[in-house]
Amino acid sequence: MKSLRVISLLMEYPTAELMEARGELKALVARMNLKGKQRDGLLAFVEQRTEGDLMDWQSEYDALFERGRSLSLLLFEHVHGESRDRGQAMVDLMNQYQQAGLAIDANELPDYLPLYLEFLSTQGPDNARAGLQEVEHILGLLAARLKERESNYAALFEALLHWCGDRVNIEQIREQVAGEARDDTPEALDKVWEEEAVTFGPDAQADGCNVQYRPDSGQRRDQEQILNLMDPQPVQKHQEA
Amino acid sequence: MSHLLDKLRYFQAQREPFAEGHGVTTDEDRQWERGYRQRWQHDKIVRSTHGVNCTGSCSWKIYVKNGLVTWETQQTDYPRTRPDLPNHEPRGCPRGASYSWYIYSANRLKYPKVRQSLMKLWRQARQEHTDPVRAWASIVEDPAKAKSYKSRRGLGGFVRAHWDEVNEIIAASNVYTAKTYGPDRINGFSPIPAMSMVSYAAGSRYLSLIGGNCLSFYDWYCDLPPASPQVWGEQTDVPESADWYNSSYIICWGSNVPQTRTPDAHFLTEVRYKGTKVISITPDYSEVAKLTDQWLAPRQGTDAALAMAFGHVILKEFYVDSQSEYFTNYVKRYTDMPNLVILDEEGGRLQQGRFLRAADLVDNLGEEANPDWKTIAINSDDQRLVSPNGSIGYRWGRPEGQTGRWNLENRDGLTGDEVNLQLSLKGNSDDVVDVAFPYFGCKEHDYGYFQHTEHTEVQMRKVPAKRVKLADGRDVLVATVYDLTLANYGVDNGLDDSNCAQSFDDDKPYTPKWQERITGVKPEHVIRVAREFARTADKTHGRSMIIVGAGMNHWFNMDMNYRGLINMLMMCGCVGQSGGGWAHYVGQEKLRPQTGWQPLAFGLDWQRPPRQMNGTSFFYAHSDQWRYEKLNMSDLVSPLAKKEKWQSSILDYNTRAERMGWLPSAPQLATNPLKLAEAAKAAGKDIKDYVREQLVNGELKFACEDPDAPQNFPRNMFIWRSNLLGSSGKGHEYMLRHFLGTKHGLMNKDLGETGEAKPEDVTWRDEAPEGKVDLWVTLDFRMSTTCLYSDIVLPTATWYEKNDMNTSDMHPFIHPLTEAIDPVWESRSDWDIFKGIAKKFSELTNGHLGVEQDVVTTPIMHDSPGEMAQPYGVKAWWKGECEAVPGVTMPNINVVERDYPNTYHRFTSLGPLMDKLGNGGKGINWDTKEEVEFLGKLNRVHHEEGANKGRPRIESAIDACEVILSLAPETNGHVAVKAWDALGKITGRDHKHLALPKEEEKIRFRDIVAQPRKIISSPTWSGLEDEHVSYNAGYTNVHELIPWRTITGRQQFYQDHEWMLDFGEQHCLYKPPVNLKTVEPILNQRSNGNKELVLNWITPHQKWGIHSTYSDNLLMQTLSRGGPIVWLSEKDAKAAGIEDNDWIDVFNVNGAIACRAVVSQRVPEGMSMMYHAQERIINTPGSNLTKTRGGIHNSVTRAVMKPTHMIGGYAQQAYGFNYYGTVGCNRDEFVIVRKMDKVDWLEEDEQTTDSLAK
Repeated sequence: MKSLRVISLLMEYPTAELMEARGELKALVARMNLKGKQRDGLLAFVEQRTEGDLMDWQSEYDALFERGRSLSLLLFEHVHGESRDRGQAMVDLMNQYQQAGLAIDANELPDYLPLYLEFLSTQGPDNARAGLQEVEHILGLLAARLKERESNYAALFEALLHWCGDRVNIEQIREQVAGEARDDTPEALDKVWEEEAVTFGPDAQADGCNVQYRPDSGQRRDQEQILNLMDPQPVQKHQEA
Repeated sequence: MSHLLDKLRYFQAQREPFAEGHGVTTDEDRQWERGYRQRWQHDKIVRSTHGVNCTGSCSWKIYVKNGLVTWETQQTDYPRTRPDLPNHEPRGCPRGASYSWYIYSANRLKYPKVRQSLMKLWRQARQEHTDPVRAWASIVEDPAKAKSYKSRRGLGGFVRAHWDEVNEIIAASNVYTAKTYGPDRINGFSPIPAMSMVSYAAGSRYLSLIGGNCLSFYDWYCDLPPASPQVWGEQTDVPESADWYNSSYIICWGSNVPQTRTPDAHFLTEVRYKGTKVISITPDYSEVAKLTDQWLAPRQGTDAALAMAFGHVILKEFYVDSQSEYFTNYVKRYTDMPNLVILDEEGGRLQQGRFLRAADLVDNLGEEANPDWKTIAINSDDQRLVSPNGSIGYRWGRPEGQTGRWNLENRDGLTGDEVNLQLSLKGNSDDVVDVAFPYFGCKEHDYGYFQHTEHTEVQMRKVPAKRVKLADGRDVLVATVYDLTLANYGVDNGLDDSNCAQSFDDDKPYTPKWQERITGVKPEHVIRVAREFARTADKTHGRSMIIVGAGMNHWFNMDMNYRGLINMLMMCGCVGQSGGGWAHYVGQEKLRPQTGWQPLAFGLDWQRPPRQMNGTSFFYAHSDQWRYEKLNMSDLVSPLAKKEKWQSSILDYNTRAERMGWLPSAPQLATNPLKLAEAAKAAGKDIKDYVREQLVNGELKFACEDPDAPQNFPRNMFIWRSNLLGSSGKGHEYMLRHFLGTKHGLMNKDLGETGEAKPEDVTWRDEAPEGKVDLWVTLDFRMSTTCLYSDIVLPTATWYEKNDMNTSDMHPFIHPLTEAIDPVWESRSDWDIFKGIAKKFSELTNGHLGVEQDVVTTPIMHDSPGEMAQPYGVKAWWKGECEAVPGVTMPNINVVERDYPNTYHRFTSLGPLMDKLGNGGKGINWDTKEEVEFLGKLNRVHHEEGANKGRPRIESAIDACEVILSLAPETNGHVAVKAWDALGKITGRDHKHLALPKEEEKIRFRDIVAQPRKIISSPTWSGLEDEHVSYNAGYTNVHELIPWRTITGRQQFYQDHEWMLDFGEQHCLYKPPVNLKTVEPILNQRSNGNKELVLNWITPHQKWGIHSTYSDNLLMQTLSRGGPIVWLSEKDAKAAGIEDNDWIDVFNVNGAIACRAVVSQRVPEGMSMMYHAQERIINTPGSNLTKTRGGIHNSVTRAVMKPTHMIGGYAQQAYGFNYYGTVGCNRDEFVIVRKMDKVDWLEEDEQTTDSLAK
């Protein structure tokens, strides 16, 4: 799955080297197992990015992925947030790499998406697909948020979702993201901490902690769907099969 | 579907029972257990702590698995205390427990970053210039280029850079700045070394070696109570929290113990089981109010009025109506109450003047040494004037080899005879005279919020006085501080004084009845609490305590609040006694191994003196807050002062203080100090003489006389371990405009625009400079507000990724931060970062800087013989009022040799001055050769040829820790014995017994990694670390008879410096809050249709963060309201049509805040409260007023300085870094509050500061 490595590379902080590899990248993208729209999107991404100014690209990258949580490329940021489970989850993921005979040789966390993609690229097509499917909701979320921000980085995620089997409806997530779950719109920012003071009295039950003023599920990390990243079994199973 | 098919019908699992069917052997898959087993599995537990500016200083267990931090829990292995004293643990709070999140957070800074526009310029310049220094010059010397990146500050646009590259930019900028403008144009700010002392020392060592300024923080944060240096000559020294348990009566005065001192609050609860009564005094219904037996709620800012009334009751009942033997003996021996004060006749009235000195008297009263600095009292047995030993004149100037007599034994300093000092002259006086006392409580408040009384501004009160013949032939009247104090408090000592109160019900200053009008507290409550407080202290010999919160110190007249309660403690003999005294736990956090740390931190092992600057004056001057100064000193001085002396602007007084050697300067001289040696040589003169001459003839100026001249800009700024712009920057918007030159929300007009009077001594430039700082570098582990405004952001190791040490004033332990995991991504520890910069700096000096002679000016320092500099009056040498003598009437002029190319070599080794000059602190000095030799063996020495060959190595942070631990008396018993011995030579008493039992105890880094260690008693501090007493400030003063480091050697009720007299602060009294004039110009001027309220602005410590740290953490935000909030009272909210959770505008001319309202019964009318410090990077919409993102709590503030804090060259009122100086008060501020019209998230615009909210 060389394609995954290409995506992984494109998802990293852009460098001059990457810009220089323009022709090679375009050729690789052209050969990818992608449909028209997705291939066009990815090609356009490579073309537009590698033609522009590197530092502009870098500072845009910094603003997108290095600040705030909503577009973090650390998978567990979206799963565990600042919960204590995150440490153990990362330990488990690392074990998964170790069981595959790989050790992390970079100053990165195990749940860093480009790193994860590189790992999947070494695990054969079935495992890779299974691995992608495990995180497809996060990929969908990121794709939708990037689209909302009109960033062509969304193309990378759409390609990944295609390889997952197009099971995630980005537009649907996008509606959610645009409607309620985005943490960067004024409304959502508002809602995140809209909470009324508790009132006491006969109607306390009804009026006291009116649920409609609570953070909606999109902002609540405790209700987020827990992806089964903690358990290394699925990938293993596919390998056996 | 039913469960019909869930069960097997024909099979059961194979079973093999044993133990009579109680056990069963199966081969079932037990994988499911793994989840439980793994949950708490870990590879190792590492001890660390949270180096945040918090007094908690709690040791934590950090769990690490596979090189990843998984979680943390509280450590539970503190050394036990002793029987009948609760233990310290568990220590910790939810804030610390949520820390591990920061390490892997999306907000973590992972790579060095540079502002894109600067990076472009830099890379381009580097292509044109092979020399990075020239490349830097080509950028900053081109105004268009400089503006192009400065104006982008705070507007996003960072790109990653490699360490080599950022180090090169920083070093090039530093070399260029030192060479072109002078090294004192390079500045660094980092607060509270105690929380991670090596990290602090890393930056300050680098800056000190190259000659940059380290800026003080304690005063800038306004947590430094100047009352403490004034009364005790001590920065701040307080009891450990365990000593609360020894107390019998506690007042929590403005200190919200359960909320802000969480890990220690248990002692306060536990002591109540012993029957100790606990009183709270807070203006709002705070958490501590709910905890205590009685809550008094004076109006905020009027605490001094309450304290005066408490004092009135105590004096009346325990000194006048009946006498407490304990109190009387205590104040006689340990306070200045018996000292004599000259009564000056001025305008037909007698006023309180300065202390009578030996030099005033015929033949200096027989005193040979320092007669100007020996204060006088009367021996009651023979009515003789004596000079009691202990005054500062006995401290210094002891002939070599002779043992001193600077102690608090009741003896005549001249003869050594025992004396019994007379407290009151009543009955022995030559006359009873009327003395004028200033009264400030009659001043009407501009908004009518603070109440006043109708009493006249001068109160005449009767005082018994004695006539004394002076050496110059004059006859003067003198009175004791005791008699003056009674009169000041309005207590009639049987002198039939109709101006004093006859009963507590009289409405005369300062009775319980009088205070009711001002504070709103019922007189009977005042009487009862005062009585109980004093009675308890009388019976228990001083076990009454006041835990005070620094909020009371954040008012312009903070000294009155603090002296008010300190006076109560002194009257009741509580200071220096177990379970007694004042407990102010804010912002200094006690760097316990201070004297071991100083050589490392300020490079004293290579060169002395370092450049140290008081932060408040620096920020006030350089962020041009003075250009907007509307506060007139003549409105604030005593009705008895000469008003014409006080017509100038605040900055004028500060520059005068700098020129008189009172306060430090940064930059120092209006020229490059590296160029003066050459000029002196050309003139054929000694450098110091040359500089002095040039200053006197006006050829050379002080930089402070023209802070807006480009030559005097603070060109380079380092911020580390601090969020200066996001948290503590008073006058935030002024900083954005003038320091940074970027988008700001300032709505104020400067004196040029309003056409008001300009400062007299300072050059006014019509065009206000913007963007004075060329390079702003911030080190942090998260993207803070300060980072967003920086040119270069360097990712530091978090508190679980570095080796360092931590101490606090709340407990006696020293414990470490240790590297649980390697710094993640590209982050590095502060030590390694500055080491890297130092290395690059050394390389880049080639062709620019060599071995240079740097002229360094230093103010007259406290705890040095120089502090006996200006005994009488204020004299300006530049006006010819006195001769210009360095170190006496003007700053010291020193020449420091800087070996710039060897900066790195010096940084990484312990220099030779430790062997040559020894080490010391607080006026004592000891030899330290043995320790240096030991460090050479422990850390090994440098073997390679070069500037540091043979010197002990300080390569790693652990090496640096060992340097501190070995040199400090607190962690090396042998040094402690030497230090006590050295002190004994001055006091003439043997103190060695305090450390001898621990002489062989030597704490090393690995020891504290194993377990927190209790420190060893040292003369650096005034309390003892002992198996029998808990640490309490002033304990050794009282029990070892070591004088306080004041002019009288005693705790002082009375302050006699000329400027103190001018401000009417010779005694404590009540002064109302001042009007900072920031509301009127804008009130109802930019209406949005909603009613505008004018409210007082209070910024206490919060519950959901430690300053700004943790406040961006979702867990803490969920517990709070998740964004900036301001608390309002129900009544005010109703008046302005504001409901809970409404968006509101909070503003004045200084700036604007956009936030939510919390409407609560907790808050009294007229007060608005915003917790310090909420970041503007989260959930902050735009302000409708400034059209830029709403500000932080300091956006509506501006620093205002008080001249009495500028005093120097005068015993305890002499400068010391973080010891004395101007403070950044901010609570007199008023703001306009109104309901917001529409919430604008500035989605379309370019974002100021935050992409985070985006």
